[in-house]
Amino acid sequence: MRLLSIFRKTLREQSRDLWLLALTLVAAPVFVVLYWLLFIGGSTAYGVLVLSADHGAVLADGTVFSAGDELLAELGKVTYASGSPLLRVGRASDLESAKRTLANRDAALLLVLPEDFSRGILAFREATSGGGGAPVGGSDGPSDLPAAPTITFIGDLTSAAYAVSSVLTMATLDEYLQTATGQIRPVQLAEEPLGASGVRTEFETYVPGLLILSVTLLIFLAAMTVAREVETGALRRLRVTPMTSFDLLAGISLNQVLVGITGVLLTFGTAYLFGFRSQGPLWVAVLVGAVTTLSVVGLGLVVAAFSRGVTDAFVIGNFPLIFLMFFSGAIYPLPRTALFTLAGHNVAVYDFIPATHAVVALNKVLTLGAGLGQVAYELSALVVLSAVYFAAGVWLFQRRHLRRN
Amino acid sequence: MTSNPPNTAETVLRAESLTKRYGDILAVDRLSLEVRAGEILGFLGPNGAGKTTAIGMMCGLLRPDAGETFVRERPVRGGDPEALVRVGLAPQSVILWPKLTCLEQLEFVGEMYGMPRPNARRRGRELLETVGLAEKAGRLARTLSGGMQRRLNLVLALIHDPEIVILDEPEAGLDPQGRVLVRDYIRSLARERGKTVILTTHNMDEADRLADRVAIIDRGLLLTLDTPEELKHRVGEGDVLEIEVSDVPGGPGRGAGPFLLPALAELARARGGGTGAVEALAVSRIGDTITLRAPDAVNLIPPVLDALRLAGLRPGAVHLRETTLEDVFIALTGRSLRE
Repeated sequence: MRLLSIFRKTLREQSRDLWLLALTLVAAPVFVVLYWLLFIGGSTAYGVLVLSADHGAVLADGTVFSAGDELLAELGKVTYASGSPLLRVGRASDLESAKRTLANRDAALLLVLPEDFSRGILAFREATSGGGGAPVGGSDGPSDLPAAPTITFIGDLTSAAYAVSSVLTMATLDEYLQTATGQIRPVQLAEEPLGASGVRTEFETYVPGLLILSVTLLIFLAAMTVAREVETGALRRLRVTPMTSFDLLAGISLNQVLVGITGVLLTFGTAYLFGFRSQGPLWVAVLVGAVTTLSVVGLGLVVAAFSRGVTDAFVIGNFPLIFLMFFSGAIYPLPRTALFTLAGHNVAVYDFIPATHAVVALNKVLTLGAGLGQVAYELSALVVLSAVYFAAGVWLFQRRHLRRN
Repeated sequence: MTSNPPNTAETVLRAESLTKRYGDILAVDRLSLEVRAGEILGFLGPNGAGKTTAIGMMCGLLRPDAGETFVRERPVRGGDPEALVRVGLAPQSVILWPKLTCLEQLEFVGEMYGMPRPNARRRGRELLETVGLAEKAGRLARTLSGGMQRRLNLVLALIHDPEIVILDEPEAGLDPQGRVLVRDYIRSLARERGKTVILTTHNMDEADRLADRVAIIDRGLLLTLDTPEELKHRVGEGDVLEIEVSDVPGGPGRGAGPFLLPALAELARARGGGTGAVEALAVSRIGDTITLRAPDAVNLIPPVLDALRLAGLRPGAVHLRETTLEDVFIALTGRSLRE
């Protein structure tokens, strides 16, 4: 009976703390809805860029045969069972901009088709059908077959999105070539890692994600530190002084940023001890981590504004944490639907989550060897988001906890 | 004993029609008063009377729905730093930073008031000395006893040397020894250091002993404001006779009430000899206590006890005392402060 009494008492207390109860209960359903919204256009479509130097080939009847165009069309036909596209295929204009797109994670794979792609396919087709006129040669092909053109796959070899898109592309390519030539893969395939992604150990590929984790966990510390001032009533004492909300929150934030930067350095230091090496300048990665810390602390202030105490801050803090971890690409890639373009960058809804930019920037620096200039966009975005979240946190906190009412 | 500051003392804080409502409850209703430099003003009223809300509006913690507080003619409402630094508030509940030492707390709050750190540190040490906490300067607040925490809570309001010190129930939660210490300290603030002290209390004894003037507040309304002596004088001359009574089984008991009190008043009047003391007579019954105020009350005890017995009541303990602020409150509201 005591058990039932305790159950009843706990139930009563919980029902009188509806805000926390509701948050706990609706968290998972809300994220189900959000994920459904994310995938409303179907499942993830992996971005494949095709840089085609293929000149095509003129057939006997005078028409132009373009294997590159046909392959592009075939790639576009790769769909889920529901009919929604599996690959988001686009043409690249030049190698450098295409690589930038890969580094920005706006595409997962760059497929480079050589000049002689169509002619090679045509030669194989005619050789297989017994026709003459096919150019003969090639060191790797059978002695009676023409030289095999080389198709290059370029991408971040540490990226899961690259692995999926390259497998799908290769299967489509094989199927197309077999249909077109009757041969099994009458081409040579080459793989070119983006940046230094080819030499990264599996351990090294996880370090950027762990770094993001160390920074995002700061949201709890920041929110709880501020919420403690609310819970203990210390704000009552401070509100009768000339202290402003900016003084209070900036002072606490500065401390949290310091903790965050220390955490970033410790994470790097530990990783370094165990063999992790950055391909780009480490100070740039530390800078990215520091700026990310700023934005996470800003989010922590927003959380604190809605908290009446440390427990509230902990429960509420889980919401932005889930966004930071699962909606930023830190754990796994999500479909990107561009809302608009800014300075040549596609801006998707996740780009309002600071960790999204941190993930891209850290990957560029640590894995692809990028320098400060190449992550300027991400750093700028992080600074802007930090300012926005910090301002929002100060404003909300002022309204909810510091306003004389 | 208290000595009143001269009436000509300048006004340091002025409240004009302060009004605060929480939903349907009118916590403070058009409160207007002036606080003079160097005086101790006591806000006396039962729990929930609106005392804390009133001082909250005076120190800038709460925004009034109507009205305004001026400190040295500067409005408090907008958070004017010039007004805020002139006021120090010691809240009723102990508000400390548990993981800061006593001295660190004082330093921190001093800096919030714009004091340079060395000055805050020096003054912090002085204040700890004055409340007997000098040896605890380096101790974390959470390790202090409840009484020590309350003393630290009090001196945090003084770190910036404010002209006006507002103390919300300063003796609450203190043991008798602590109460004496704090009472002496509050008195010294006004008498020796020239501070103006505003304190809230529901303890009539505290208000009577400490305050130069007492503002009695009930249900958000300021009922009266004057010196304790004048307030007591207003309710009547003489002493107060309190007799606890219980019903005799089978007797008229409480049913005798309507007749008993006028009868006792008449009795006292007859004994008073029909002099000017007649106006000072007052008889009331609150719960099981009959209170009778009259000149020469001691001689009324035998006939009053007889009258009570005749009325079917059994007299219990008999107390004879001087008029207190409790009597003033009862005279004003018909209720006890403790109700």
